[in-house]
Formats: sequence, structure tokens, C-alpha cells
Amino acid sequence: MLTIALSKGRLAEKAIELLEKAGYDCTAAKEKSRKLILEDEKTGLRFIMAKPADVPTYVEYGAADLGVVGKDTLLEEERQLYEVIDLGFGKCRMCVAGPKELKDGKLDKIPNKRVGTKYPNITRAYFEGVKKESVEIIKLNGSVELAPLIGLSEVIVDIVESGRTLYENGLDVIETIADISARVVVNRVSMKMKSDEIRPMIDKLREQVEIMNAGKEEQ
Amino acid sequence: MSSKFYTPDGFNDTLPGVCAFKKDAESKLRRLFSLHGYEEIETPGFEYADIYTKPDFLKEEDLYKLTDSKGRLLCARYDGTIPAARYAATLAKDKLPLRLSYIENMYRFNQTGGGKQSEFTQAGAELMGITGSDSDAEVIAMAIRSALEIGVTDLQVSIGQTGLFEGAVSQTGLDEETALVIRDAITAKDSVTIERVSKEKGLTDDNRDMFLMFAQPTGDADILDQMKGFFTDPIAKEALQNLEEILEALEDYGYQKYVSIDPGLLGSVDYYTGVVFKGYTYEVGFPIIGGGRYDRTVGVFGREMECVGFSFGLSLAITALMRQGLELPDPAPESVVGYEKNNKDARRSAITLAEQMRLGGTSVILDTSSASEEELNKFADDNDIQTVFWFDGGEK
Repeated sequence: MLTIALSKGRLAEKAIELLEKAGYDCTAAKEKSRKLILEDEKTGLRFIMAKPADVPTYVEYGAADLGVVGKDTLLEEERQLYEVIDLGFGKCRMCVAGPKELKDGKLDKIPNKRVGTKYPNITRAYFEGVKKESVEIIKLNGSVELAPLIGLSEVIVDIVESGRTLYENGLDVIETIADISARVVVNRVSMKMKSDEIRPMIDKLREQVEIMNAGKEEQ
Repeated sequence: MSSKFYTPDGFNDTLPGVCAFKKDAESKLRRLFSLHGYEEIETPGFEYADIYTKPDFLKEEDLYKLTDSKGRLLCARYDGTIPAARYAATLAKDKLPLRLSYIENMYRFNQTGGGKQSEFTQAGAELMGITGSDSDAEVIAMAIRSALEIGVTDLQVSIGQTGLFEGAVSQTGLDEETALVIRDAITAKDSVTIERVSKEKGLTDDNRDMFLMFAQPTGDADILDQMKGFFTDPIAKEALQNLEEILEALEDYGYQKYVSIDPGLLGSVDYYTGVVFKGYTYEVGFPIIGGGRYDRTVGVFGREMECVGFSFGLSLAITALMRQGLELPDPAPESVVGYEKNNKDARRSAITLAEQMRLGGTSVILDTSSASEEELNKFADDNDIQTVFWFDGGEK
């Protein structure tokens, strides 16, 4: 029995789609219900629907053998995991964003910046590790764009997909921290103890991702 | 303010059933180490934090720190190897090799959960002042035997060698920064990054495939042969030979079924200098065995010494066993002896009997609550005690 942790929402749907293409029967996972654990004894697969930020935790502790989760969550959580496949969907960027006026290096001129974000660890690692400066981090839980608009912070660190929310609020991307997409992560012990089931799954999923990527290039 | 009448985060009481099992396991491990000629040592619960932080072995924030009366920084025992290395460099006799073992509680600011705790018991052994594949194999065999001894039978041990990656980097001439990126990618089994970096840095297909081999999800059965095709560097070739010899020796121990080669097992940077291994079982998400060769560590304390060792996470292994369905021993005593209130003759007889039974190895509670025969029978029923002896005027 393999336990797969999925990030509730669109990422889960995409992941299920890919698993089906790879030949895994995911009928159980598609069941429309409020159940949090969806199990199919026939296929030997058990899906758990978790909050995205919790997926790396379930997998690190071995409560789930593998999981599908965004790279943003992985960067923020810094868990000890194997990160075996870049699924190529759920693409976006982790960015420093703020008022347009701060572009072209003007950001660096502000001393003791305040940064609003849902990702305090990524923010700290970027400003302290890469830019070598200390900042005041203000942890927020959503609608982060509000912070620079009403003067709670100078800039924000957040994921940007199309950038529309930013533009419509007079904000812009100032610096890009990392490219984000969905990843398959595997528990380090499961990889070893359940390799008979996990290894073929990784191989089949990789194959599907390659087909998908090849299709994109043709377009 | 409310009183904190509970244990701190990451710290737990070990309750009777588990404790009985654990202490028995410790005795078994102690005997196992001693049968292999490893002498047990106890090192202090606190050390100067310098012994862990100076050599840069770990993150300072993982240590439990406090100061002594002169304001010097101390830390709680973090592992068994570093204190053993300090001991070997400073206090041990000249005669080498040294065979040392320990069974101690360790203290770490761990992210707790899934079986991890801030305080946990590790048992380990260090073979110091000697090198070679046979020494490596002895230590791996002891690690495996430790797990088997306490009942972990679903065991998988991965073996790697730091020289493989070192040699691979040297024969491809990678710069240090790129090597670190690839190293991290291998540790995460992240083949995507390896492919991307190989492309960016213009590596040959052969070199790219070599680094991809390191990141294989699990070592293929023919992994040793695959590696032979890739390595030209003498360090890598030597590492490969070391692995082959270790496998051969482990076959002599009869342990080949528990081990496999994983080239992607690199160990932490700048610590291990040869073979590295990790052991796994079901039901806990973390390895229960860790170890390897660390030839540079003792030198940090002033005496060059080649070493290999392992630690076995006893607490974690017991957690795994319990989740795998281990039946804990019943710590209840076998018998209870009672006597009539205020009857000195009866008391004398009761004490004599209890003492005799204890000499014979039976656990006996002597009732001191002046319970009646009826109460005593009920007490025995409630506490799963099998036999009741009662003394009054006449004897029973």
C-alpha cells in the first residue's frame, strides 16, 4: 500500500490526471466527497488530501510515502525529502514585489526594510543569505499585496503567476527569487523500504512528464 | 501563572512496559558490544560547546546550551562519536586500535514528531586507529546485528562511499560551486537539476549520466558494474574497491541480504571520509542506523586517527517496533505475599518466603498495607498478578 499526499485543489486534480495517464487507477481519489482519506484496496493506493503547506510534513515523517506539492512550499518548509520529479505544471515565480518606483536597484537604497509575506523562511533566506541584509519580516496569511499599499511594509515576497493582481494594484515584480512548479517528493525511508512500488511509479510519471514537455515544445 | 507539571517539548517519560523492553534491549546491546571486544565508556552529560562547534560538524542552534560558573559555554551531549573522539585524542592509551562503545541519552533541538525527540537513546560503537575494508565491514555488521538483536528484522542498510563523488568531481573538473549544486541535487535525488546544470556547464553525456547515476531513486542491482564503466579517477576507483571488499566481507557475516549500494549516499560535507551507511525499517520516516568512516575528526582534537563507527537509534527503533506490533513485556510482578495484621509470626514467614522466591528469580511483592486475604486477592486480580500467598495463624 502506497500513501500519496496531495495538495488540496488544482494541484491535486492535475496530479491525479497525470497518475491516470501513467496507468494508475485513481477512481478513489476522484470521488466527490468530504473524505480526507481516499483508499482503494484493489489498486493499493491511498490518497490523503492535505493543506499544501502540510504535504512536506506528512512525507518527511513517513505518514505519506510520497506527495505532490509546489516548490514554494518545499522551499518554505525545508524538509528532508527526496525531490524526484519536476512535474512542470503549477508554474509561477517567487518574487519580491512592491511599488514600481522601487525597480532598477532602488529597493537596495531603503534601509531596514519591512517585508510582508506568507513565506517567512524563504524571505529570510533570500535577504540574509543572498542579499546579505537583515529585514523586518511581517508574517501575513493572505492578500499580501495589501501590505505595501497601506504602508504595513515596503515590499512583499509572494508567488506571482500572471502578475495581474500586482499590476491592477499599482505594484510590480522587483526581483525574482526562484522559479516554482509542482514536484513529486518521496520519504527517504519509503524510497528504500517500498522501492518495488515507488521506483516503477517514478519511472512511469517521468515518462509522462517527458511526453507532456515534448508536446509543449511542438506547440 | 500556571505550573508546568508536564514534560518539556520533545521530552518524554518512559513508562513501565516500554521501559522494561528498553532496559532489556540495552543489556542485549551492551553484551553484544562486549562480545566483539568493544569497551563501554561514559562521557559527561555536558561538554564544552567548542568540541562540537569548532570543527564545524553541525549547526550551533541544534545544541542545548548552558554556561558553567565561569560563564563558559557548555552543551548537552549531542552524540556519542565526538566525545569518543575527544577521549581518544586526549586520554586514551597509546595502544591502537581502540574499540569503544556507548549507550547514552543524546540531546538535540530536533524538529520533533514521527518518532523524533529532543532526548533519545543511542547505542554505538567506534573502531579507532585502524583503516581498511574489513574494519568498515565489522562496524556495519555490528550495526546490523544491533538492530536484529532487539527484534528489528525488516531492515535495509544502504552503503555509499564519499570517494565516489569526490572522484567524479575531480575527473570532470567541476568548479566548487557547481559541484555543491550537483551534490545537493544528488542528496535530494533531484535528477532535473542535474540535467539542467549539466547542460548549462556543457558536460559530456557520459559525465551527465554519471551524475544521474548518483541520483538513482534506489541503487540498481548492477550498480557496481555501472559505476566501473564511469570512473577513471583513482580516488573513485579506490572507493569502488572498498565497497566491493565490504560487500564481500558482509557476505561472510551472512548479512548480504540486508545491504545494498547507494552511490547517492554522500554523508554530510567534510565529515565522512570513506564508507557511509544508513539503516532503515518500516513505520518510522527516519533512519535508525547511521555511520561511516571519519578519518579527520580525531585529528581536530590533536591526534591523527583513522576511525569508523556507527550509532543505532534505540528510541526510534523501539518506536518502529511498537508501530510494527511489538508486544511489550508485562512488567507486573509474578506473585504477592501477604500476612495477617499484627501477627509477627505470619510476617516472619511471609518475609522468609518472599526472600526465598526472589533468590530463585521470581518477582514478589510483599504486601505492607495490612490487607486482608480477600483484599489481597482482589489486588492481585486488578494488577494481573498470578499467585497469592497468605499467612495467618496457621500456614497457607
